[in-house]
Amino acid sequence: MEKQVHVSRIGEEFKQEMKKQSQRERFISWAPVGILAFLVVLFSIIAQGFFSLTNLQNLLKQLAIPLVMSLGLTFVILMGSTDLSAQGLAGFVGAIMALMVVNSKNANNMGFLGILIAVVAAILVTAISGIIHIKGKLPTFMVSYAVSSIMQGFAVLSYKGEPALIRDEFFTTMSQGSFLGIPYLTYIALAMFVIAYVLQFKTRFGSYVMAIGDNEGIAKNIGVNIDLTKFKVFLWLGVCIGLVGFMGAVRLGRGEVGIGSNLVFPAITSVVVGGTSLSGGKGGVVNTLVGAMIVTVINNALVLLGVSPYVQQAVQGMIIIAAVAISIPHGKNLIVK
Amino acid sequence: MERKLLMTIRGVTKQYPGTLALNNIDMDVYGGEVLGLIGENGAGKSTLMKIMIGAETATSGTLEMHGKPYAPHTPIEAMKLGVGMVFQEQSLIMNLTVAQNIYIGREEQYVKHALVDTRRMNEDAQKVLQGLEITNIKSGTRVNRLDFADRQMVEIAKVFDSVGASEGEGSIILLDEPTSVLSEKEIQQLFRHVRRLCTRGNAVIFVSHKLDEVMEIADRICVFKDGCKVDEMPNENLDEGILYEKMVGKTASGEYYHVARQRVPEQDVVLELRKLCKRGYFADVDLQLHKGEILGICGVVGSGKEDLCAVICGDEDPTGGEILVRGQSQRFASPSQARKAASILSVPRERRVEGIIGELSAYENICMSNFDGVRQNGVISDKLAKVQAEKYVQELSIKLPSVNQRVGRLSGGNAQKVVFARILASGCDILILDHPTRGVDVGAKTEIYSIIRDIADQGKSLIVLGDTLDETIGLSNRVAVMKDGEITKMFDAPPDGKPEQVDIVKYMM
Repeated sequence: MEKQVHVSRIGEEFKQEMKKQSQRERFISWAPVGILAFLVVLFSIIAQGFFSLTNLQNLLKQLAIPLVMSLGLTFVILMGSTDLSAQGLAGFVGAIMALMVVNSKNANNMGFLGILIAVVAAILVTAISGIIHIKGKLPTFMVSYAVSSIMQGFAVLSYKGEPALIRDEFFTTMSQGSFLGIPYLTYIALAMFVIAYVLQFKTRFGSYVMAIGDNEGIAKNIGVNIDLTKFKVFLWLGVCIGLVGFMGAVRLGRGEVGIGSNLVFPAITSVVVGGTSLSGGKGGVVNTLVGAMIVTVINNALVLLGVSPYVQQAVQGMIIIAAVAISIPHGKNLIVK
Repeated sequence: MERKLLMTIRGVTKQYPGTLALNNIDMDVYGGEVLGLIGENGAGKSTLMKIMIGAETATSGTLEMHGKPYAPHTPIEAMKLGVGMVFQEQSLIMNLTVAQNIYIGREEQYVKHALVDTRRMNEDAQKVLQGLEITNIKSGTRVNRLDFADRQMVEIAKVFDSVGASEGEGSIILLDEPTSVLSEKEIQQLFRHVRRLCTRGNAVIFVSHKLDEVMEIADRICVFKDGCKVDEMPNENLDEGILYEKMVGKTASGEYYHVARQRVPEQDVVLELRKLCKRGYFADVDLQLHKGEILGICGVVGSGKEDLCAVICGDEDPTGGEILVRGQSQRFASPSQARKAASILSVPRERRVEGIIGELSAYENICMSNFDGVRQNGVISDKLAKVQAEKYVQELSIKLPSVNQRVGRLSGGNAQKVVFARILASGCDILILDHPTRGVDVGAKTEIYSIIRDIADQGKSLIVLGDTLDETIGLSNRVAVMKDGEITKMFDAPPDGKPEQVDIVKYMM
């Protein structure tokens, strides 16, 4: 029998197309780093005071809370979900934590135990919303939005209108102090980054989250325990929101519900700008670090440039649309709703 | 040498609503052999494999593995019992490394204090790859950095290793069209692994459209046709001609397709394709469609016929060449533009998803592609729409309690007739029919063939991708055969000289 060695033309073309596409993807995956570098250079030139040691310290301080928040959301978004509960939940955590340490409203003095209780409360809440999502098959978007609203209510109820001022000296110094020029709160954020990094790259959990985000059907066939993995993602989110609530209260010096406001949107922006796909399965915690830096640098520079806060919000909105537009796949027959 | 029986399949039948995908299959799989499965699309090969790996359950019949009843519910369970499959669509997680993909779900041995020993896992994965003579892939690389062929090799390595891990009494590996993205050299490499695996007492089931490859690697070949296993023979002194003949489906009588009503098309060319290309899908397609003509296009999955039709009806963009409609060069931004500017409309394959709107009534569906005829003072008139619908319901003898009936409730045949009513109401005169009789029972099929003849009689032109080869030949004036994105042959199919299925299949595979 004569052997055919026929490599079809379209087969070759198909290979080339795939190659082109993967080159494009590789380029895009490095884009956030390039953008960060570009912004730093740009702002150093046009924004007076941007390139200085004091401002570097400022940047590190401003980075802390958004970074922890976005690290929490990274795993949620990696598996293709969203979570908006932080707005109410972080406010709630901050409020009850302030009521448990030395404060202006009562005689409590639980110190670190108070923080622990507050963080555990956050984990419990995200665990419950996780179970509602997993077992009830409700979209995370809706569940977390509702949870946020509920917790916002509880937050205000906990202090009955007038937020508690934190009087515990340890915490009041914590908000301002620094070690080796790096603010204390930033150490917490960096530690959380290291933990998140280990979770993503050194544990089965990290691989499974990626698998679920890429294609849940495949993950299931491989034998990944999908529900358990999703549940763990919510626990991690709870840890992060708990810490964010605590850090927010320390930073503000009082435990009010407003700690949670204007938290979720910049965090989602950071995750997406860093290159993590909103549909899941692509990106990760390193991307989030870069993304959080980009968002922090922009906000910082806009203040230095004297841009109005309302314009800053508009800028953030535009950034997220641009980032999503670059990162999602394009195609004529892609159906997006 | 005595062959060890690994799996026995007895009387396996799979019934889907409306179709019998597998009919009473008996098959044995022996250790140490490569078993080739061949057959046209829809012959039942894929369904059988899905049952073997637990992705589907048989309606009736039994499977045994190593003499024990075998009925896995999931692919992972099948894997543990020694049956693994390399999927045509790859099942790799793009943003994980090669090693992570090879061991995903099986990491226990590398986990210490909840942390994965990445280095050791990478080393072992590298050994797995080396064992398969794959030297150009580093196990620490992320899969999305690899090209398509390398990904395929990783996929194969993953299944070989996970089935090999449970190896003992002999495992079965299923390869579904594994060579479509591989180069000649890689194919030979794959074949060496397959043979090596078999010498260790395992069996490999090899499914491919490429007959020459099946004949090169298989020890035994099973031929499937219309859900039945029609023959099984050792791969000795076979020639492709014999296999082609066994593969093609039964030929229905000319009456079934109303061949007597086939008309000679007019001379006018209504649609002409000149060197039409879509990179990676099809290339240099030249085609002429005449007024009143029915043109059939045949080809296996991946031949490019579906993509070609998607380009013609404006759903996809071509990357080169020209589409001329009645002599004028045209480019369509969307199917809606193709309909308005060139009077081209397509009947999609997935009726429930793409062809009808189940929640709407029959009359609303029928006027959907053209509101002009039912508009009064600028708004759509329910009354006119119903009158129009009544007319088509009668013409096409659609069985409906009333035109207010929700289409989602109708049987396949009647729902498809509603689609045809919509097509007729659209007034379009170049129609692309993608599997026009899919999921339609036999009685309704012949009615639909009659409707298609009526449409041609009205001087409209049709492109048909038939549900079966026989259907395409029976309906068409001419049949174009596509393979690897190119038209390999054009057959004339006059009523008194229809081409044989065997001759067409030769150009498809």
